[in-house]
Amino acid sequence: MVPACVLFLAPFVWLTLTAFKSRQDVFSLTPRWLPTKWVLTNFTEAWQALPFGALYINTFLISFGLLAVQFVTVSLAAYAFARMEFPGRDFLFMVLLGQLMIAPQSTVVPNYLTVSRLGLLDTRTAIALPYVASAFGTFLLRQAFKTVPRELEEAAAVDGCTGLNFLWRMLVPLSRPSYLAFGLVSVTYHWNEFFWPLIVTDTARSRPLTVGLGVFAQTAEGGAEWTLLMAATLIAVGPIILLFLVLQRKFISSFMMSGLKG
Amino acid sequence: MTQELADMQRAPSNRMPARSGPQARRRQGLPPRWFGALRPYLYILPTFVFLIAFTYVPIVRSVWMSLHESHVALARPVFVGLDNYRYAFSEPLFWKVLRNNLLYAVATIPTSVGLGLFFAVLVNRPIRAAGLYRSALFYPTVLPMAAASMLWLWMLTPGYGLVNHYLGRLGFPDIEWTGDPRYAMWALVIVGIWKYTGYYMVLLLAGLQALPSDLYEAAAIEGASPWQQFWKITFPLLSPTTFFVTVMAIINSFQSIDQVYLMTRGGPANATNMMVYYIYQVAFRFWDMGYASALSTVLFVVLLALTVLAFRVMHHRVHYA
Repeated sequence: MVPACVLFLAPFVWLTLTAFKSRQDVFSLTPRWLPTKWVLTNFTEAWQALPFGALYINTFLISFGLLAVQFVTVSLAAYAFARMEFPGRDFLFMVLLGQLMIAPQSTVVPNYLTVSRLGLLDTRTAIALPYVASAFGTFLLRQAFKTVPRELEEAAAVDGCTGLNFLWRMLVPLSRPSYLAFGLVSVTYHWNEFFWPLIVTDTARSRPLTVGLGVFAQTAEGGAEWTLLMAATLIAVGPIILLFLVLQRKFISSFMMSGLKG
Repeated sequence: MTQELADMQRAPSNRMPARSGPQARRRQGLPPRWFGALRPYLYILPTFVFLIAFTYVPIVRSVWMSLHESHVALARPVFVGLDNYRYAFSEPLFWKVLRNNLLYAVATIPTSVGLGLFFAVLVNRPIRAAGLYRSALFYPTVLPMAAASMLWLWMLTPGYGLVNHYLGRLGFPDIEWTGDPRYAMWALVIVGIWKYTGYYMVLLLAGLQALPSDLYEAAAIEGASPWQQFWKITFPLLSPTTFFVTVMAIINSFQSIDQVYLMTRGGPANATNMMVYYIYQVAFRFWDMGYASALSTVLFVVLLALTVLAFRVMHHRVHYA
């Protein structure tokens, strides 16, 4: 167990240590784990070589902005599916779950054409649009909403708390763990996404960190400058790794659920 | 129904009959009755607009476009029937790409799911620092594949890379991991295993925790060794979950693109070109949208078939009578 964990941790430790090394350290033929001299210049250089300010803002706006929109779409749909009777409900729910069976990669070409037709190429909106409807989120919250007892709803109705009021004041606060789980999975996914943003973006105006990093690595400046590249990588993944360190248990239990349904 | 409860509740205080006409409802500040019937549809409307616009219409459009020749040289798409598919099936590169996908799947999945199962069983016991072990194995899941690719490019660099250094100590020659067609796929396989083992472990852990504990108690009383317990209880009972995770892993492997783009660009000599990267090249390098749509449709059908299979298994999760 211990050797396995060391083996899995080693690459990230190596990444971190490399980011603090000087060039001479990196290009020695016998690799040393610890830097002979700890330097911070890689980080300052990386920060100047990549438009990190813009990349950070874009990534934040895409992942958290999308989450805010999903919060609305998912809550409303889950509310209807969990607590209302209406003709066609089960059929419509199946149609929604169908999304889990369709790989986003197989719809990249038509979605690119749609985004292009809407004049949204190279915008943050374009990156988020295909994910506004979330079958996984709706499913997760529907499960949570269903566990709220009928009596509570009736009691709330007596106090005039019905409809959207009931959703906002009762269902949402009572389902906080499910929201957190969905939020973690969604933010991680969109913080890390690479392929779709790569296709629909062209400039740092809309690019997220992952694409900025990938494009930098393929330039002459970024290629083989390992200390610089590792520092840039560390800057790009810093927040998500910190979030993981703080919420390890929650992350693991959230991703457990992500597998059971898509 | 809740609306009516609220009606009845309010009606007496307003000295109105419980079932009042539209005017009375408006005076009470209640929405008209037709709204009640429409309400659920309004709630699911935002989700369905986007679901249809960005999931279902694209599928149909993809199939439709795959029946046309459509690229930059043509003013408008020309209907060509199944020509794009015929072209794909006669194109050696298409088969090479599929073979690469299969090779990647066969090399990555048994290892990552097998290790995932092994670790899941180990960390499921009440041992000290179990949480620490879980996190140490799981954290690559949280890292972007883009970062993982950078990291492993550096680990696998010939001459200075850590991997070659340790292999060299074992007597191996310096390997050009991403530059040599014989090894490039293995570079991607290593990254795939490192990145996904922890995720599969966590999914299998969920399955393990759902197993009835009384069976293990009984087995312990009967004096079954941990080895016997694993093969006679855990493995058979967990097999639907294991199968589900395996199918998910196959689907996952067919969607690989980030590491292909960042580590090898499908090369050298297409040795690591896989389905999604091939679609990317055809669509966004050669701008041949008709052929790219045909490839997307093939990918869609393959993945759909696999997913339906996975859901079937999850549905019939009753594993013992």
